[in-house]
Amino acid sequence: MAGKRGATPATYSPSLTTAKGKKKPPIFTDDANWVRSDGRHFHQCRPAFLRIATVNSASGSAYAEFGNTKVIVSVFGPRESKKAMMYSDVGRLNCNVSYTTFATPSRGQGSDNKDFSSMLHKALEGAIILESFPKTTVDVFALVLESGGSDLPVIISCASLALADAGIMLYDLVAAVSVSCLGKNLVIDPISEEEVYQEGSFMISCMPSRNEVTQLTVTGEWSTPKISEAMDLCLDACSKLGNIMRSCLKEPLSAPEE
Amino acid sequence: MEYVNPEGLRLDGRRPLEMRQLRAEIGVVSRADGSAVFEMGNTKVIAAVYGPREVQNKSQQINDQAVVRCEYSMANFSTGDRMRKPKHDRRSTEISLVIRQTMEACILTHLMPRSQIDIFVQVLQADGGTRSACINAATLALADAGIPMRDLVTSCAAGYLNSTPLLDLNYVEDSAGGPDVTVGILPKLDKVTLLQMDAKLPMDTFETVMQLAIEGCKAVANYIRELLLENTKQLEFRRGV
Amino acid sequence: MVGLSVGEKHFIKGGIEQNLRTDGRKRYTYRPIYVETAVIPQANGSARVKFGATEVIASVKAELGKPSPSYPDKGKVLIHVDCSPTAEPAFEGRGGEELSSELSVALQRCLLGGKSGAGAGIDLSSLSIVEGKICWDLYIEGLVVSSDGNLLDALAAAIKASLSNTALPKVQVSSAASDEQPEVDLSDEEFLQFDTCGIPAIVTLTKVGKHYILDATSEEESQMSSAVSVSVNRQGRICGLTKRGGAGLNPSVIHDMISVAKHLSEQVINKLDSEIAAAEAREEDVP
Repeated sequence: MAGKRGATPATYSPSLTTAKGKKKPPIFTDDANWVRSDGRHFHQCRPAFLRIATVNSASGSAYAEFGNTKVIVSVFGPRESKKAMMYSDVGRLNCNVSYTTFATPSRGQGSDNKDFSSMLHKALEGAIILESFPKTTVDVFALVLESGGSDLPVIISCASLALADAGIMLYDLVAAVSVSCLGKNLVIDPISEEEVYQEGSFMISCMPSRNEVTQLTVTGEWSTPKISEAMDLCLDACSKLGNIMRSCLKEPLSAPEE
Repeated sequence: MEYVNPEGLRLDGRRPLEMRQLRAEIGVVSRADGSAVFEMGNTKVIAAVYGPREVQNKSQQINDQAVVRCEYSMANFSTGDRMRKPKHDRRSTEISLVIRQTMEACILTHLMPRSQIDIFVQVLQADGGTRSACINAATLALADAGIPMRDLVTSCAAGYLNSTPLLDLNYVEDSAGGPDVTVGILPKLDKVTLLQMDAKLPMDTFETVMQLAIEGCKAVANYIRELLLENTKQLEFRRGV
Repeated sequence: MVGLSVGEKHFIKGGIEQNLRTDGRKRYTYRPIYVETAVIPQANGSARVKFGATEVIASVKAELGKPSPSYPDKGKVLIHVDCSPTAEPAFEGRGGEELSSELSVALQRCLLGGKSGAGAGIDLSSLSIVEGKICWDLYIEGLVVSSDGNLLDALAAAIKASLSNTALPKVQVSSAASDEQPEVDLSDEEFLQFDTCGIPAIVTLTKVGKHYILDATSEEESQMSSAVSVSVNRQGRICGLTKRGGAGLNPSVIHDMISVAKHLSEQVINKLDSEIAAAEAREEDVP
C-alpha cells in the first residue's frame, strides 16, 4: 500500500487510514454513558511518570510520560549571556520547544508548536526568581518524543521539574493541566483523539502552593459558569500534580528498581 | 497588446504624457520621528523615519558621519496574488539598497556624526512605480523628521511602448516587458541621483524618455513643495504664530 | 521608545490608581476609534482601524481551495499578522517575528475556536462550496502600521471590519462526473456579503498594580504586571482567552477580570458596530 490517495503522505503509515476514520463517531457528545477510550473517568488525569536527572550533560533535566505523551526537557544555566545582549540586572530565560519528526502519526507536524516556545516562556517566567542570576541566561530546551495529546501542559510541568533539578531558584513548581469541552462534558487531560473533536479547550498553568496562575488560554465558546467549573477542576488537578512532582524530586537520584 | 489606442489614450484613460494622481499626507505614524504616506494612482506607500539616534550596532558607527539604513517591505496584500514572503527576497534587498543610496546622497550626514537614521518603507498597494513612490515618501518623511538635506529627492518612472514614450507606468504597462526608466533628481540643484533602466532602448529614444521622466520628477517636486509649505503653515497656526 | 524614568513610572501607576491616566482617560475608557473600510481595492475586503495612535490594516483575500480531509464540509481560514518596521524600529528584519506569531496565534484562537470549528466566530461551513472538493480559503492578513499599545484589540476590530466589508463572488458549480474536480464559474456581478454578527471582539484588560485598565498605551503596557485578553461575542459568551505577561495571578482575580471584561464588551461591541456601519456609509457615499 503505497498511499496513492492525493492528500495522504507518501510514507508508509499503516495506522493512518484504517484506525482513524471508521470508529471515531463514538466520541460524540451528549452520551452520558460514554466512556473514554482509555477507560478513564471524565475528571481523571492520566497517570504520570516523572524522572529527573535523565540527561547527564545538562545542569538539570527531567523526563515526563503522561500516557502516550513523552517529553524530555533539559536546562542549561545560568550561563553567561551573549555579548550582543544588553546588560540586565535580572536573569534571562530562553525557551525552545521542538518536536521530533516521529512524534506525530504523520511525519513532521509543525503547525501548532511554533508558539509553544513563547507560551512555555510565559508560563515559567512568573515562577523563576530572575533576580538571583543577573547578567546570565537560563536555557530551557524541550523535546517532544511522542505527542499523545495535551502536549503543552506536560511540557510546562516537565520544564519546571527540570528547573528545580538544575537548582534554579523558583517561587514554586509550575503544574499545568488542560481541560477539553466535548459536548456538554468537561474532560480533563485529553488525548489526541479527544482533542480533535473538542469544542473548546482550557489550559491553565499555576503554582499550586501560592495559588497563582501563570498562564491561561481558552479556546472556543465558554459560558461563565463553565469557565469557573473548568478552573476549579484544573486548580484541583494542578495541586495534585504539584504533590506528585514534589515527591518525585524528593526521591533519591539513583533510579529505583521497577 | 495595445497599450496606447489609436486615439492616444492608455489603458487607464490617461494621455501618454500624463502622470497618475498624486496624494500625500505627512505625520501618519505618531511614534516615528517623521512619516508620510505617498500615493501615485493605486500605488500606496508608507515611509517612517527614526532618527537621528544612537547607533545600535557599534561596529557600524562612523565617527564623522551618520549611518543611513533603509528597509523596504511589501505587505502580503499589496499585490493581486497573495505574496508568500514579503521580506528579504532579492527584489526587496535591491530596492532597499537603491533607496538607501539615493537618500544618503542628499542627507547632510556630516552634521550628525556617530548617529543612525533609519528609513522604513512599507508598500500597502503595489500598482507599478513602487520604487519612485518609496523615494518620494521617504523624502517627505525625512522632511517631516527635520533631518537636514541638500534638496528634496523626487523620482518618477517612464517607459516606451507602442513607439510612444509613456510617463508613470502602472503595473500592467510595466509588466509588458518594454523598457522602464526610473529617474531620481534633486530638482533645485538640477542633478540626477538615481538612474535605472530595464530592457534596451536606442540612444535618442532613451534621451527622450529620460527627459520625460525628469519632467515627471519636477511635477512631483512641485506637489511635494506645496504640501510641505501647507504643512508648515498648519504647524505655525497650531503654535499660535 | 526611550525608557521611562522612575518618576514617570510612578506617575503612570499613581494615575491609574486614582482613575486618571496620563492622557486624561478613566480606567475603562477607550481612545477614539476610527474605522475606514475598503482601503485595499485588490482585496475582497479590507479595513483600517485606529485606536488613538495605534493603527492597523487588515485585508481579506478569498481563494478557491480544497477542504482538509478531516473536515470536508468546512472552508479554511488562515490568519497572519505582520509587524511593519514603520511601527517600531525594533521590528526591522526578523525582530518583529515573535510578536507577529504571538498575535497571529492569539487571533486564531479567539476567532476560530476549537479544532473542530465549534464555537468559532466565523461559520466555516458557510465557506464550503462543494463538499469535499471545493471550498473558500480565506486569508486574513493583518499589518501593524503604528504601534502604541493594545494591538490585539485593534487587530480584532480591523478583522471584524474587513470581514463585514468582504464580498465573496457567487459561485456557479457546473455539474461534473463525481470524481473529477467540478468546474466552477465565479460570477463577476453578484456578491455575497459576509455575515459578521457572530464575530467576537477582543477586550484586553491590563493589570497595573491593583487595578485593571482598558486600552493601554505602550507606556502603560511597559508597567503592567500581566494582561488578560478576553474575546467575547455578542451573546456574552467567551470565545477565547489569553493571559499575557509574566506575573502570576490569583484565580479569583482572573474571575474578576473575566466578569469585568464581559461587562465592558457589550459597549465595545456596540461602539465598534456603529463605527463600522458609519465607515461603510461613508464608503457608499463616495461612488
